[in-house]
Amino acid sequence: MDVLQYSIRKLIAGIPLIIGVTLISFLLIVYFGPDQTYSLLGKNPTAEEIAELRSQLGYDQPFITRYLQYLREIVTLDFGSSQASDEKVSSILARTIPVSLALSLPGFILGNLLGVLLALVAAYNRGRWLDKFIMGFAAVGMSISFLIVIIGFQILLSSSEGLDLFPVRGWDTSTPLQYLRYVTVPTLATVFVALGYNTRFYRAVIVEEMTRDHVRTARAFGIPQAQLFYKNILKNSMVPIVTRVVFSIPLIVISGSLLLESYFGIPGIGYVTYDAIVTGDQPVLKAVVALTALLFVVAQLLTDIAYRIVDPRVSLK
Amino acid sequence: MPLLRVRDLAVEFRTQQGVARAVDGISFDLHAGETLGLVGESGCGKTVTGLALLGLIPSPPGHIAGGSIEFMGKELVGLDDAQMRAIRGRDISMIFQEPMTALNPVFRIGSQMGDVLRLHQGLSRKQARTAAIEMLAKVGIPEPAQRIDNYPHELSGGMRQRVMIAMALSCGPQLLVADEPTTALDVTTQAQVLEQIAKLQKEFGMAMILVTHDLGVVAETCQRALVMYCGRIVEDSPVTELYATPRHPYTAGLLASIPRLRNERISELPVIPGMVPDVLHLPAGCSFADRCSKVQAICRTSAPLLKKLPGREAHVACYDPN
Amino acid sequence: MNTVLEATTANAHGDSLWLKALHKFRHDRVGMWSLGIVAAYALIALGVMLGWWATDWAAVTGPKWAPVSAEYWFGTNIIGQDIFARALYGTRTAFEVGFIVALGATLLGAVLGAVAGFFSGTIVDEVVIWFMGVLDSVPFILLVAAIAYSLQGSPWAMHIAMIATFWITTARLVRGEVIKLKGLEFVEAAHAIGLSNRLIIFRHILPNTLHILLVQATISFVAAIKSEVILSFLGLGVKDGMSWGLMISESTFEVLAGFFNNFIAASVLMFGLVMAFNLLSDALQDALDPRTVSAS
Repeated sequence: MDVLQYSIRKLIAGIPLIIGVTLISFLLIVYFGPDQTYSLLGKNPTAEEIAELRSQLGYDQPFITRYLQYLREIVTLDFGSSQASDEKVSSILARTIPVSLALSLPGFILGNLLGVLLALVAAYNRGRWLDKFIMGFAAVGMSISFLIVIIGFQILLSSSEGLDLFPVRGWDTSTPLQYLRYVTVPTLATVFVALGYNTRFYRAVIVEEMTRDHVRTARAFGIPQAQLFYKNILKNSMVPIVTRVVFSIPLIVISGSLLLESYFGIPGIGYVTYDAIVTGDQPVLKAVVALTALLFVVAQLLTDIAYRIVDPRVSLK
Repeated sequence: MPLLRVRDLAVEFRTQQGVARAVDGISFDLHAGETLGLVGESGCGKTVTGLALLGLIPSPPGHIAGGSIEFMGKELVGLDDAQMRAIRGRDISMIFQEPMTALNPVFRIGSQMGDVLRLHQGLSRKQARTAAIEMLAKVGIPEPAQRIDNYPHELSGGMRQRVMIAMALSCGPQLLVADEPTTALDVTTQAQVLEQIAKLQKEFGMAMILVTHDLGVVAETCQRALVMYCGRIVEDSPVTELYATPRHPYTAGLLASIPRLRNERISELPVIPGMVPDVLHLPAGCSFADRCSKVQAICRTSAPLLKKLPGREAHVACYDPN
Repeated sequence: MNTVLEATTANAHGDSLWLKALHKFRHDRVGMWSLGIVAAYALIALGVMLGWWATDWAAVTGPKWAPVSAEYWFGTNIIGQDIFARALYGTRTAFEVGFIVALGATLLGAVLGAVAGFFSGTIVDEVVIWFMGVLDSVPFILLVAAIAYSLQGSPWAMHIAMIATFWITTARLVRGEVIKLKGLEFVEAAHAIGLSNRLIIFRHILPNTLHILLVQATISFVAAIKSEVILSFLGLGVKDGMSWGLMISESTFEVLAGFFNNFIAASVLMFGLVMAFNLLSDALQDALDPRTVSAS
């Protein structure tokens, strides 16, 4: 029950963060955003229609009331309906989030696993050509814009100019084979770019751990280099690695998927968010912002718990 | 036959500004069961010597530039890493200065000790655990069966150093190299740890090289002492003789500068004038020449060799020893 | 720690960190080459700004999709504009965005980080940390959109959003360094003489973080250029003028028809600058890091 108590305390401590995020978003999107009255109504609205819509949208109420209303929506998870499609926002979220997960998860897992592996190999061969080669490849991955990679892979693999192996756009998870066909090109693009950043970061962490005194001790007792690396040093590096992995989850799910989904026409939450941005669909935007804030607080909590598992010096008090 | 025979050992480091000769041709013998002190100030090459014996010189910048290290009749210089690894922890063990950071914080004591025992003695997990508990008891750690499952941060500095000693001795090595093992501990713990080491040494019949800058520690624990300066041995002498009559001017200066109770008042603590020369630009001739009160012309042109004093046990590298 | 190594890397004359770094950097071949390439790009951008070249980037002078030729070094795009000129103009935009964002983010990060670090543990620090967490939690694209939305489509929305995001890493690093520095004796001495906190922070502590600031500025510069590409593609980026992002955005339709010049021109040019800048950033970091020992 220690863990439960700790979790609850941490979640409560995350409330200022949620308030901050929602406040800023609310300020920017709703309060300072353009007056939506006229864009929502058709031509030649009557005075009553205007007044009714304005009261519905809450334009006649003080700021704090409107903000509290927003908070209430978050707690009840009821954001109303999308202004563009009239579908309930919560049902939109329920529909699109699994799609985004199915899209981002393979790339996320592969990107990190490969990143750690490459980093280990690079650090093990520190200073030699294999290290420089891997780091060079990472530098390249870091230097090409994600968009360019996406377009490039699409040309190479999906288009008639290239190999034409995969579909250009779209999404179909009816069978595992179809899923693979549609998820491969986006995943390859994600991994290519992620590897650049991940490998460099993880290598730096591992090199830092390599220079610690206890590594010298282990060497002095004859422990073989390979065991040192893949058992001792790796475990020591887990704290920063885990932090990064967990903290990148909220980013991947929302920001990362936005570009991929818009480009490949995949109906996930990123695509919906982008649509909402373009059309100014406030209910959807408010929901997505709140969701991200919550995800971050949960991510923080998960990281703290994960620390406890990999580093015995950290206590849950 | 001596346990360890070092002849003309030289260690160099390649740096941006040039080549630094950290150890400049040293030679000495060590016999089974003997305790040898390796004394000198920071940077004199004593730690590097210790590391060289185990082949632990960090290899991109440094390397053994020459000489031989013969251990139990076998030549160590030139062995590859796999061969050295078989020796490290089993025939020659080394313990370091910082008990706080010398142990891996995310693994239990038992796991770390077990790694060493299983590697060198092929024990099973259970056997290794039993052997480790025994060793912990031997170094004076209370409740060893519980302590073995502790993490390093759950132990005090003194206990951690004892764990290090237990680990080092667990495979019964012939030689222990201890690099400033008590410098980071408080004085009381220091005394206890040194006592423990001495006791175990006798029990295991082990030789020890104690690397330190603390002349007091050397006096208490060593039979013989090597005084190093700028990568060279300037004096090699039994400890009683060293303290009674230091032969080399540097040794004399070192001993004189230790604060102690005297019969007469002095206005200033004696110091050795000048500074240690830059390791990248060692002078030709004796490195101590610029600071020596007895310097002669020949001192500056050719470095004196370590020579046995007639009728005594001591070896000195000086043209005009005391 | 190996004292031989320490002794040999410390210069006998006790040179400052900057002199040592300069010396180290000059020997870093990759670093010097990267600096050269970045300087070349900067020169191009300057030339565009001063009107020496690429002034005709918007002019519709040629046929649609002309191939590479002596007249059009990269061919023309779908409307008939000179791709090479547009790519050159994109260099100017990149430097403009990069410079403004790097400057803004570094300044903001330095000041807030220093204040938070100096008053660490107090409410001031808590507020800054909370603020950093909040801004970190908002997805970047959403933030750009939100700011653009609230500024009713101002072309500076992108810059502001970038600065509002990038300052955080700098601030975190500066805060950490300031916490370390304020425990040092020279700060104690400054307090003892009676210097005001403001003076201590800005005249004594902050200058000691310049090496961090320099490296972070280069990182922000690169991040700005890369983000601009994605933002322009989504329609949230550069509004007037031309940028590599807009070129790539244009090219997405062209590549489906088999015309790659636009795409390649912008991508290659951008890759060149970003890669060089990344390598430069690495070299700077290596040169300024007091711990690294050269192995050659």
